[in-house]
Amino acid sequence: MVTQTTGTSDEALARRAAAKDSDAFDELVVRYQHRVYRLAFRLVGNDQDALDVTQDVFLQLFRRLHTFRGESRFGTWLYRIATNTALMHRRARARRPTEPLEEYLPRFDSSGSHCGTPEELQVAERAEELLDRQLLGQRMMRAIEQLPEGYRVAFVLRDLEELPTEEVAATLGLKPATVRQRVHRARLMLRGCLSDLLGVQP
Amino acid sequence: MKPSTCQAGVHRLMEYLEGTLPTDVRAELESHVAGCPLCRAFVASYVATPRIVRSVTEHAPTAEQLRSLRAFLQSQHGRG
Repeated sequence: MVTQTTGTSDEALARRAAAKDSDAFDELVVRYQHRVYRLAFRLVGNDQDALDVTQDVFLQLFRRLHTFRGESRFGTWLYRIATNTALMHRRARARRPTEPLEEYLPRFDSSGSHCGTPEELQVAERAEELLDRQLLGQRMMRAIEQLPEGYRVAFVLRDLEELPTEEVAATLGLKPATVRQRVHRARLMLRGCLSDLLGVQP
Repeated sequence: MKPSTCQAGVHRLMEYLEGTLPTDVRAELESHVAGCPLCRAFVASYVATPRIVRSVTEHAPTAEQLRSLRAFLQSQHGRG
């Protein structure tokens, strides 16, 4: 039986999929497969693991759909499953320990002023223009991987998946102020990393 | 802490950009940055960072990978 799915809300599709409507489940997969894969890729760092995570996320979705109560948006609920699945996968793989990126934090003199010239402070902005794109992508994936886990997840959801801070907070069960603090630290570290790649001290 | 120095301003920068700072702290920060070329340069690179990282880490599955995924999930859902 072919059922109408286009234009239906995620939440309505979720209810139908929970009642074994295969078309509704397939439509949810189509709507979210790119986003789930992209999130997984940025959290686990490679294509094959990202595919494994994506498959696992939708299998879990299938099993857990009957528990979706509609208290949060469907997307938020699915992002929570995807984030947790990617982190569990990563932990199970026992990746290399994270190296601190503290050295990339901005530097200040004793009076609290920036160290460096305006040109040095701004150089990170030109990273795409000045560096090979593929190399830059590899270095940034590695830098994301080196972020402390709490910073990494908050940064990926907020800045790379572009979820509003409040939605990231709801997804991770954190206060918005905590999300802001973690995303801010991640931005500072990655900004410093970009400067370092261009041969300038952060 | 009021953002009367670069360091204090950087500390509050994300809150500033998200519009969650109290009005007086916001005004203080804006006043500092307006007179500080170092901070203006820093803010430009700070704001650019998420955009650059997002752009260079963009990665999509292939059409074949997506077809396999859907076929597998459909077989699982059909069995459910």
